[in-house]
Order: sequence, then C-alpha cells, then structure tokens
Amino acid sequence: MHVYGQSALLSGVVQDEQGQAIPGASVSIGNQFASQITDQSGRFSFSGLRFGNYTLKVTHVGYVAYAEAITLERPKTSVVIQLIAQSTILDDVTVTGKTETQQAREQAIRAVVVDTRAVAEQPATLAELMNRAPGVRIRQSGGLGSQPDISMNGFQGRAVRYFKDGIPLSYLGAGYGIHNIPVNTLERVEVYKGVLPIALGADALGGAVNLISQRQTGNQLNASYEIASFNTHRLTVNAGADFNHGWYGGVEAFYNYSKNNYTAAVMVTDPDTRNQTEQNIELFHNAYKGYYTEGHIGLRNRPWADDLRLSLAYFDTERQQQHPALMTDPYGAVLGKQSSFVPSLHYQSSFFNDKLTIDQFAVANNLDLHTVDTARGYYDWFGQFTPVTGRVGESSRPSLSNVDIWQLTSRTYARWSFNERHALSINYVYMRSRREGEDPYGPRFSGTDIDVLSIPANYAKQVVGVDWSGAFTDQLQFSIMGKGYRYQSRGTESWANRPINLDEEASVSKTYGGVGGSLKYQYAPNTFARFSTEYAYRLPESEELFGDAMWVVPNFSLNPERSLNVNLGFNTRQRLVRYEVNAFYRETKGLILLVPTIAPYAQYRNINNVRGFGVEADAMVTLTNYLQATANVTWQSLRLFGFTSPQDLWRNGTRLQNTPFFFANAGLMNRLEPFANHGQLNTYLHYNFVREFYLQTIPKDAEPDGPLGLWGEAGVESAVIIPNQHLLSGGINYQFPANRYTLGIEVKNLANTRLYDYFRVQRAGRSFHLKLTYQITDKT
Amino acid sequence: MKKQFLFAVIPTALLAFAACSDDDPTPPENATAQYLVQTMSAIEQVKPGFTAAYSEFPSGTISNVSQPNALQGSANEGWRTYNGMVFKMFNASFERGIYKLNVTADGRISYDPSSIKTNNTINGSGNFVIESDTRGYYWDADAPWIIQTFNPTTMQRTGQLDDDFESALKRDDEGINFQGIGQHFLAIKQGKLYADIVYSKGSGGQSGMFNDFFEDVYIAVIDLNTGTYEKTITVENTGGIAYINDNEMFSFDSNGDLYIVFQGRTALGGLSKIARIKANETDIDASWELKFSDYNASDAGKFTGVFAKNGKLILTVNQEPLVGGPTGNINAGEIWKFYTVDIASKAFTAVEGVELSTNAGGSYAAFELDGKTILRVNAPSKGISGFYELNGNTATQLFRVAEGHAAGFTKINVNN
Repeated sequence: MHVYGQSALLSGVVQDEQGQAIPGASVSIGNQFASQITDQSGRFSFSGLRFGNYTLKVTHVGYVAYAEAITLERPKTSVVIQLIAQSTILDDVTVTGKTETQQAREQAIRAVVVDTRAVAEQPATLAELMNRAPGVRIRQSGGLGSQPDISMNGFQGRAVRYFKDGIPLSYLGAGYGIHNIPVNTLERVEVYKGVLPIALGADALGGAVNLISQRQTGNQLNASYEIASFNTHRLTVNAGADFNHGWYGGVEAFYNYSKNNYTAAVMVTDPDTRNQTEQNIELFHNAYKGYYTEGHIGLRNRPWADDLRLSLAYFDTERQQQHPALMTDPYGAVLGKQSSFVPSLHYQSSFFNDKLTIDQFAVANNLDLHTVDTARGYYDWFGQFTPVTGRVGESSRPSLSNVDIWQLTSRTYARWSFNERHALSINYVYMRSRREGEDPYGPRFSGTDIDVLSIPANYAKQVVGVDWSGAFTDQLQFSIMGKGYRYQSRGTESWANRPINLDEEASVSKTYGGVGGSLKYQYAPNTFARFSTEYAYRLPESEELFGDAMWVVPNFSLNPERSLNVNLGFNTRQRLVRYEVNAFYRETKGLILLVPTIAPYAQYRNINNVRGFGVEADAMVTLTNYLQATANVTWQSLRLFGFTSPQDLWRNGTRLQNTPFFFANAGLMNRLEPFANHGQLNTYLHYNFVREFYLQTIPKDAEPDGPLGLWGEAGVESAVIIPNQHLLSGGINYQFPANRYTLGIEVKNLANTRLYDYFRVQRAGRSFHLKLTYQITDKT
Repeated sequence: MKKQFLFAVIPTALLAFAACSDDDPTPPENATAQYLVQTMSAIEQVKPGFTAAYSEFPSGTISNVSQPNALQGSANEGWRTYNGMVFKMFNASFERGIYKLNVTADGRISYDPSSIKTNNTINGSGNFVIESDTRGYYWDADAPWIIQTFNPTTMQRTGQLDDDFESALKRDDEGINFQGIGQHFLAIKQGKLYADIVYSKGSGGQSGMFNDFFEDVYIAVIDLNTGTYEKTITVENTGGIAYINDNEMFSFDSNGDLYIVFQGRTALGGLSKIARIKANETDIDASWELKFSDYNASDAGKFTGVFAKNGKLILTVNQEPLVGGPTGNINAGEIWKFYTVDIASKAFTAVEGVELSTNAGGSYAAFELDGKTILRVNAPSKGISGFYELNGNTATQLFRVAEGHAAGFTKINVNN
C-alpha cells in the first residue's frame, strides 16, 4: 500500500447482478483496517483513510469473491460493486466465517443453497423456493401450514432431517419449519443430499435441510407484511441491536394466518342416492394460524466466549384438518394444536489462537400437543353438519388428547486446526424425550380403564461424528469421517385390545457405526469436481417404536434404515454461463414402512430395499445485463431390490413407488430501471414440471416408453397414477428509492392448472400475493 | 366360502324362496362372462395390486401383472358377487362404500361410475346383502340404527327400512359408546333379514371392533315383507362377530342352514365359534355349535371364515397360537391349515394336497365357482400361490398365480 498523507473516505454499495443490495457482505481493504459488513442497503464506508492504493475485497455467501485494486486520490470515493452470483437462486456453499457450513464446504460435501435473502422481498414460500432446486421435491398436503414432505434423491419422510443453524429441529415441533417460516427471516437454506457433514449430527439417510437464521449486523429492523388469496396474512419482524460492552439483543417473530379456502374438485355425495359427482367446492375447514417469537440476548467478543446467546422462544400453532390423508371425506371440526416455551443456550468460542473452536447448544422444552376430534356427527363438503346418535369424532380416532413430550437436545461441536490445511472435528448430539399424556377418547388397556397414553414412552438418541478434513494440495481437498449411532427406548409395548400387565416394560438399546468421506478437486479457478460417499443409518424414531397409542402399534424389534450413498459432481463457471452436473448412486436397505398387522392395526417394519442412481443438471445464463435465465432437470432411477419370494420377484427392478422420477424447473429474471434514480423493478417467471409418477408399484415393462421414460403413458390401467403437472408462477418486485421499501406482487399457478401433492390431494389454483417489506439499518 | 346370494344355491333354497320369484336371478341369455382374478402386490395397509379378466377359466400359470388390461389399485382383497355382478366394500383408493366392477368383452375392468358412498372411518360401513337384482340392504356408520336399501343394478340408495330399530334396541348401559344394527352381519334367509346388534365400548374407528360390551352377541330378526323388527336372538358366550370386510363370515349350507363365524373376544381369538340357524328356523340352533376349543383345547386361535356345502364346513385353522406384534403371524404367517368339518359329528379332517397358507383376510379361503369348490392358497415361502379345487378331502391345483399373491377369483357378466 502506498501512502500519500491525506485523509479520504471510501464508500460504496454492494449489489447483485440484478442491482439488488446485498446486506451482510464482508468488505475489507487490508489488514490494518477492520473489515465491515454491508448494511441492509448493501452499503459500507471506510473513513480516515489516507490517499493511496488499496485492495478492496468483498465476499458473501453464494457469490464469487470480489477483489479489485483501488487508488484513493480524492477526499471522497464512491464505488458500486456487483457480485456475481454462483447462482442467483441456488449454488454451492461459499461461506465466510467459522461456521459448520464452512467445514462442510471444506470437506467437499456438496450442498445446494437456497438463497432466501436474494428473494426476501418476493411473496414466495420456502417450499416453493426449494422446489426450484435441482433434485429436491417438496410435497405439502395443501395450503399454508400443512406439513411438508421433502424428497431428495428419492429419500423422503424421516430419512431427511431438518436443522436450524445446525441444530436438529425436532424440538420445535410444528412451530418452526419449512411449512411456516417466511423466507425473509432466513439467511439461506442449505440442502445436503446424500452425504452429510458431521457438523450436522444426525442420523439422516437421504440428506438434510439446514435453515440458517439471519445474522444480526448492527442495529436493524426488517419487517414485512403479505396479504394474499384465500384470506392469507403473513407478518414478519426481525430486529436487532448492539449495546455497549459487547452485549446485543434481538427479536425474531412471525405470524401466519390463512383460511386456505381454495377451490378443489371433490366428490360430493347426493344425500338421497348416495352417488357421488365431482364438483368444485371451496374448502371450509382448512385454516392455519400460528406464530413464533424468539427473543435473544447475547454477549460477544469476550476472552472466554466469542458469542454467548440465551434465547427464549414461544410458538403456538393451530391447524384445521379438512380431510383425511386422501381428499375423500370432509371434516368440519378436527383440529391440531401445538405450543411450547423453548429456552436455549448457545455458546461459541475459540482458543489457542483459534486452533480450537467450540460450539455448544442446549435446549430443554415441553412440546404441548392437542388433538381435537369430538364432533358428534359428520359434515358434508358444504359445511352442513348432521348429528349422529352415539358418534364421537369425524376421523377414525376421536380425540381430546393432551400429550406432553419433554425433550432435551444438546449439540457439542469442537474443531482443532492443526494448520491451515488440516483440522479434526468432533460433533456429538444427544436427544432425549418422554411422551406422556391423556385422552378421554383414546384406547384403554384391555379390561382396564387405563389410558394407553398414560404409560410413559422414553426415547434417547445419540449421534457422534469425527471428521478429519484437509487439503493435499491447493487443488485437492479431502475429508474422512466416522459416525456412531445409538438409541435407547423404554416403555410398554401397548396397543388397544391387547391384555397387558402394567408392570411389563420393554426396552431396547442398539448401537451402529458408519463411515464416509469426500474429495474435491479444483481443476481450474472456476472449475472443480467433487466426490463424496457415506454409509449411514437412520434410527427408528419414537413413534415408529412406540406407535401412536391408537392404530400404529409398537415395534421394538425395528432396525434402522441403512444406506450407501455416492455422489459425484462437476461444476464450472464462465463469465455468463454457469452449469453443474451431479450424479448419485444409493443402495438403501430396510426402509421403514407402515404395514398392516392384525386388522385394523398397523406397524412400522423394515420392508423395502432401494437401489438406483440419478442425474441432476443445473445451469444459469446471463442473457443480457438485465436478463438472466436458470434451468435445472432431475432424473432418477430408484428401484426396488431384494425380493426373494417367487411371488414378489417381479417387483425387483420396479420403480420406488410414490416418488417422482423426473422433474424440471426453468426461470427468467429481469431487472428494469424504468424510472431513472427512482427505484428498481424486477420481474420473474418460474415454471415447474413434474412427470407422472405412481403411488403403487407398476411392472417395469409397463413404464412409459421413450428415452428415460419421458414420453407416453404407463402401460397399465391404474387408478393410482399422479399425472403430469405444470406450474407457472410470476411476479414483480419494485424497490423504492433509498431501498427501505419493497413491494412484491406474485401470481402463483398462472395457468390455474390442477396440481396434486400427497396422494392426489389438490393444491390451490391461481392465487394472488402482495408483500410489502420495510428494512432499516443503523450501522455503527 | 359361498356367498350370501341365496338364490344361487340348490333347489331346496329355490323352493324356499318360491314366493320371491319376481327376483329370479337367472342371468340374461345373451350375457357372456369373464373370470376375474385379484392379486395383491404387497402385504401393505391399502392392499395394492391388480385385478385382471380372463375369458376362459384360468389354467396353468397366470400373471395379472402381465395382463395388459389389468386394473391397478388398492383394496385387492376380496369381493362379493350376486347374479354375475361383482361388488366391493372398498374402491381403488381404499374408500369404504359399495362399489361395483364392470368388465367389457375385451377384458377392460372399471369401477361403475355409480357407487354408494358411506362413512369412511368406521369398519363395517358398506356392509351389505343383496336380495335381488334391484334390492339390497346395507349399513352405514353415519346412521348406525338404520338399515338402508339400495338398487344393485343402478347402484343407488333407494331408502331405508321404516322400523325404528333405535327405539326398540338401544341400551343405556354406561360404557356403551357405540351401538347400531347391521355393522358386522347382514344375511337374508327365507324372507327374514338377520342383522347383528352392536353394543360396543369402542368409539371412532374402534367402534364395534372386538370391544363388545356384552359377552353374548345379539342378532335382530327383521321381516322383509313388512320391514319390521320381530325379535332378537342370542349367541351366548362368544365375542365380536368379525372384523368385517368383503369376506362376510357366514355361509349357507346346501340345505339352507346358515353358519355364522364369531371371531371371539379379541383380535387374537378366544371363545371363537361357529353358530347355526337352521333352514326353516329363525332362532340360533341351541343344539349345535362349533367352538374353536373343539379343535384346540387351549382355545388359542379363531375361525376367520367358513364355507358350507353338503353337510361339510370348509375352513382354515391356525396351527400355531396367534401372535401379534412385530413377529406376529396372523396375516403373514403360513399357519392356516385347511380342514373339512363334518357338521353332524364336528370331526375335523385335514385337506390333503395343499400347504399351510397365509390368512385369506378379506377374501375367501374357500368358495364355489362353476360348481367347483375352490380353495385360495398362499404359501409364499414355498413359492405357492393359486387356487385349488377340493374334491372330498383332496385338493388339486387349478391354476397358479405368478407375480403377486392370490386374493380373489370369481366370474362376472360382461357389460354390453
């Protein structure tokens, strides 16, 4: 650096390729000056500089690192820096700071990042954003707040685990998840497919979804309100402030409400003939409301702690249930409620010149669950109620339950850096729960009046992971990891109608081990390949072991699902084009499915084995300075194997049922500046296609013709095919001058096509959304 | 097991129903028929699988999976037939109700566009019995004290029996959470409708599911000419009639005697028995009953179905104590042995030529088709799945089912 001896001010704004401000980016001009974080407007400034030469560096997650030599020779210099996204929407993890995600990147395990910040002003749901990612399908049973099921590489259900900032998310129940989080409360979402870094200490088989909260940077306020079709209202507030002596505090809160009263085609029953005809009716008992609020206070930059944060969260949700799993029968009074106070403690620090990093999180809470199904009659699709003598409940399980699930979750992460290239990490997660409750309408032990729910069900799970990661050369990174899994359950193998002694108690304890590793080869500055593999376990969960005290009966003999996953990817980026191709192979044994036992009961058992591979391709093209296009396709061939009974041999090689095998996305994003210096207008259009798939096994010979099964129809008369689906959505964002207000308008399902999710449950047709976002930052 | 279509039995029964000659079930002369075979792809909750049509009586080895016109869906476990029509209590999406299958001359199978919707959560909804081509009776948990009527040809509900069964039969005992008439058992014999009276401690989906309030089972006798309740008859000291589905758990012998299965106290059995109402009687035959303990002194099991013919009962009996739980054997275990039982002596004689089989569940383990007595046999560990003809006490294979598990086999009139 050359110094001329005069004072100068360097200020600027960091933007993305669409000209949108990038808050939270790290800006530095050399070791002698503290780096800065851009504010909510993407702005930064360095004052008191001397004239001379500097190297201006800007980094931010999801963007190519920026570096430029700059000469200050005037008192004030202003710059505009445009970061090139690795993808505007999706890309590799490129994270600054000492986060677990960074470790994941260094281990060369691929993740897809859903950059929620880039679309924070859009009235998009998190599920919609994730559905635009390659290899990811999210299905919801209809409407805001309905529980989602994510499918990655064909894994779904419990094989995929959820995290919040690296912590297993189960302690928050239905209060916090991809079904209800507004996108602008998050920094980003990391989606790991197949292989997980050990920092995410979980027994996932198919991958993980890590929801990364917004990081507080100075004093800031971000608030949004969305109003949309179906009487939908979503309110979000994020606020934070830095106090003296390293203290800081903040609040994260959101409220969701929707009647979800969209129109669906259902079979309406004639009251006289009892014949059914299809009619379009407005759903009348499908509302969701819920709020989540979390306050935190913390202390940073102490000798004994880099960050110590105490949080207290509370959430309360209520979900009406319009119909059972299939859209066959209308319910008019079935409700589910959840609430919990959630105190948690998070400690992060580093020692020995940052060679040792420690991260400890602990939370203990009681999840309070209520189910209400006490209607003494039934409803029709028009909301008319007919009383029935002696009847209680609309579903097959009348309930007025009050269930407490006491939970303890602890995550301990430590990392020792031997040098710049090599580090050893260990991660330990301990989770414990105890279920106990009451239900006056629930089952009793045979011959007694003892509520089956009153018998405690205890469950504990431990997952420990050790990872050695490093680099052989500047081009070649590696990691080797091992994981240990253990679970214990203790309770009564109880189900209704089974005579049982109350003092009989069964327990089971099992331990397993898994291994994994990854390689990343940086062929050129913008081109790399990577490989990862893992042999992993997914432990049975409490409900799978203990049942639901109603129709799902216990199975203490259940074994974990286990899977070998292999991933190989290639990624390159030119100036205007970026593309990526990834392939995976998996072999999974002992998939846990719900199967019938003694009618009418069912039980979770290890049933299917699945083997197969898939390919995903993802590309982004910058067409003009103002126009960008993205597209991705996913094709996978996941097939059953391991049937040995002569009656079942034909199922070997058939597709895994109820799993889409081909889906694709395309998007166009345009940035306009129609009013000079008076704000910015962004438009976007997204198209999503899902190829038909099958709820049940179809013969391999009957699969659709054409390459990869993409043309024609299945050669089987089936009542259980989910047809091809097309979804087209588009929107406009206008960012007002000064970047404080943004107005977003979006129309979803523009063509008003019929869309399905779980088991042909219909999703909403065309809907309109309006979102106003306000943000203000007072950086110190 | 033979089904409830009383008019398809021997001349004795036809004579008994001479007064009902308007309901002559003789198929139309121009009707052609197809054979339907039903297979289950996997032993799973919704019973996924295929139903395929065959123009000839199947022989050798058949595969529904390979049949181009096979219909895929759920609920591939049984059906009931009447006069060439095939009905099911579940549709391809596993919804309860009354559904009718149609088949074209080229073997394309479909569900009739008209169906009768019932409650979809309480077992037994859609339990029905057919009196004629144009009249049948069914039960719907949404109106548990009402016997509904329907037209099996048009598949429309036509009304209900007028009598107020609720006033006549309702009990106020504390602990009865669910009650009604006809949930598990509807049978027609000599102008009378027999309907079980349910007094259950269960609620919701557990209504009437092995949780009877009383130790005796009560059956209402209803005169079909007047639609009125006549009396209640009692089967003493047993348990719930059945988990009811398309296997209706009763059978008429060739002489018109009606045999009714009671599965017992719990899903694992206990006090299971078969009771009888003689052809010309309307009361339970107090002189005869076949208790499970007559076969197994420790009473460790239950009857799960019955087929009566020429003074014999054909049924299966578990060879091991029934076990629930993860290693349970009741459905998947190859533990069910075929027997013929001489009604007069109650002597059990093992059927030769068949392996131990899995439980038939909602389909029939034994039934009659084209004059043949047919057994459904599934022994997957031995690679055996198919249908056998029983002659005397010896069974021989009629045809083998490949690619799936044999469930149902019947004959259906072609829709022109």
